[in-house]
Amino acid sequence: MDKKVFIVAKREYLERVRTRWFVIGTLLFPAVIAGFSIMMAYVASKGGASSAVRHITIINTTSTDLGQRVADALMADTSVAGPDTIKPRVLNVAPADLAQAEAQASSEVKLPNHIAGYLVLSDSTLAGKSVRYAGRNASSITDMDKLQSTVRQAMMMVRLQTEGVKPEIITDLTKTRLRFNTERLSERGRTGSGQAGLFAGLIVGVMLLMLIMLHGQNILRGVIEEKTTRVAEVVISSVKPETLLAGKVIGVGGVGLTQQVAWLAITAYLVSFFMPIVLKGTTVGASASANAAAASPVTGVLNSLTPMVIGVALGYFIIGFVFYATLFAAAGAMVNSEQEAQQAAMPVIALVMSAWLCVNPIMLAPTGKLAVILSWLPWASPIIMPIRMGMTTVSPVEIAGSMIVAVLGSIAAMWLGGRIYRVGMLMYGKKPSFREVAKWIKYA
Amino acid sequence: MSDLAIDIRNVVKRYEEHVAVRDLSLQVPRGSVYGLLGPNGAGKTTTIRMILDVILPDSGSITLFGQPNTNPGVLDRVGYLPEERGLYKKMQVRRVLSFLAELKGIGAAEAARRIDEWLERFSLKTADKDWGESKVDELSRGMQQKVQFIATLLHDPELVILDEPFSGLDPINAQALKDAVLDLKRRGKTVVFSTHVMDNAEKMCDSVCIIARGEKVLDGAVSAVKRGAGARHVALSLTGGAQNGVSSVLEDTQLVRTVDDNTNFFEIELAPAADPQKLLRRLIDAGANIERFELVQPSLHQIFLERVGAQGIETGMSGHG
Repeated sequence: MDKKVFIVAKREYLERVRTRWFVIGTLLFPAVIAGFSIMMAYVASKGGASSAVRHITIINTTSTDLGQRVADALMADTSVAGPDTIKPRVLNVAPADLAQAEAQASSEVKLPNHIAGYLVLSDSTLAGKSVRYAGRNASSITDMDKLQSTVRQAMMMVRLQTEGVKPEIITDLTKTRLRFNTERLSERGRTGSGQAGLFAGLIVGVMLLMLIMLHGQNILRGVIEEKTTRVAEVVISSVKPETLLAGKVIGVGGVGLTQQVAWLAITAYLVSFFMPIVLKGTTVGASASANAAAASPVTGVLNSLTPMVIGVALGYFIIGFVFYATLFAAAGAMVNSEQEAQQAAMPVIALVMSAWLCVNPIMLAPTGKLAVILSWLPWASPIIMPIRMGMTTVSPVEIAGSMIVAVLGSIAAMWLGGRIYRVGMLMYGKKPSFREVAKWIKYA
Repeated sequence: MSDLAIDIRNVVKRYEEHVAVRDLSLQVPRGSVYGLLGPNGAGKTTTIRMILDVILPDSGSITLFGQPNTNPGVLDRVGYLPEERGLYKKMQVRRVLSFLAELKGIGAAEAARRIDEWLERFSLKTADKDWGESKVDELSRGMQQKVQFIATLLHDPELVILDEPFSGLDPINAQALKDAVLDLKRRGKTVVFSTHVMDNAEKMCDSVCIIARGEKVLDGAVSAVKRGAGARHVALSLTGGAQNGVSSVLEDTQLVRTVDDNTNFFEIELAPAADPQKLLRRLIDAGANIERFELVQPSLHQIFLERVGAQGIETGMSGHG
């Protein structure tokens, strides 16, 4: 291969990496993603409920200790945020005095910095029918979920006790935490967690989509810059247009790859560094499982990344980028300004999006007809295949076949794009019609 | 080792609507300054682009220094200044120059050394300001033109091709360019430039080729071209212009075939078999106040007008040269 390819690629790479926007984009994106995922993990570990669920008055009109049980359960729950100095107040009243107790509690709710609300436990509650709550946080879904589940559990315990079940057995029976672990089974045996595989496939798909949308359009803009500044003619008198095009694709692709590797590394570092610090407050009781839950997607993804999967994903990644980058370059060579570029890029963007919009249906049916067909279409397979491979077992024959078709598709794109590029780079003036472009392809 | 820097044989380039270059052959000797002359749309830029293998001819052959121009490395010996000029605007001057030199096979370290030399020569690098560190779009238009010229010559090419180099240059830069071309010639380089300004060509070129409508009209050494046109021309200067009956004398087709009227100066082509002495007598009789009457070789401009004519400038041919 012409060594001038690397001179062109070097320029494309260095000039882009040197810009302020590259540095900002590379650092900011992982910070946002890491911040978001830590926040999600934090919320998940806290069960979402605020300390307000403890800052209530419990009015118990049943003749049982249901009120105290609910209060104790709320205090024992580690997923509730905030200090445990605030405790629910339990009022055991006769059904006849309920109206008065309620009026008293509701006036307290209205006072500033006082209780958040009050909970009414009646015989109807004990019968498993209804429970009533009034308070400032009544529209908080997480708080209400917490109260509901706590009351339900306490009610079960009281009823079991009434039925004469031993207290130790009751505790044992009601304190169960059910975690739902999934594992994918295939002809080749266990291949890691089902979710993790899908997750890994989706990451590859999303990253390729971002690479195409961000850096593919970067190529388009670069080509237009060379045309509008007329530097193209000097460059093309030194290197063949095909060499220039190849250098561009390699250089800009390298920029994209650098950025994405940096994104993955920085995000992983930030998450692994800050996650334990943020989750430290919950390192009692449920902590082990919470940490395990937070860590499981990461380890799961890592476990499902066998060298084979990484190799195939990287292969599709490169093929997909080359395919679209060449088309973007050809689109850029056809036009003379940034404004026209948006129009010229539309067919290429539509092609990417047509593949991306099929991701959802394919996730629902990874072995369906649509999935199989798309795996054989070169503009869709680089996005679709990694996701399918993450979800189900795709036969090596199908993978190899799809890859060969994708490679052939990329070669066709390079041939076509190269011809349009060769002629278009030196064509100024009005935007060509499709007939004219067809002629370029013929005459180049 | 061929004596020809460029040898074009029977080159044809057809586009859908028209023939840009038809059956063109021309030879540029090594070490010469060669002018490619023609009206706009004549096929000059198309020819130059084919020499540089930017576009492919439909038929015919092009060799540079005796090798096909498609041979790897041949074009590294050529420097090219296109008519449409431009550089990467957001790039540092030094990096642009280094990039373009590296594309011509010069190592980065060697390029850096030469860039300093050239920037100093064009006073773009002085004790208090180094424009090489600036971005291209921070430079004035004149400075950008200098940078572009440096880019053309940085790899010390044996053949320098300049497409309409004088267009858009102020008189000072135009003079600097002429000096640079003569300097290249002294150092044994070959220079080819295209222009439609005959005056520049006549003063600078050893040989010329006039093309129109994609065809060669004539070519050869400037002296031979002028000799070939014959001494049937009269340079006439009149004080106070063509007054009285002078105009009717100049309109007499028995004596005058064509006249290029510049108010006070006339370049006259005599009619076949007309006697210049008779023309002089008639002018004196008509009361002309003659400052100069001289039998001369025709100017390139005159030859061009005669051979190409007004119809040589084909309308509706968009694009370049």
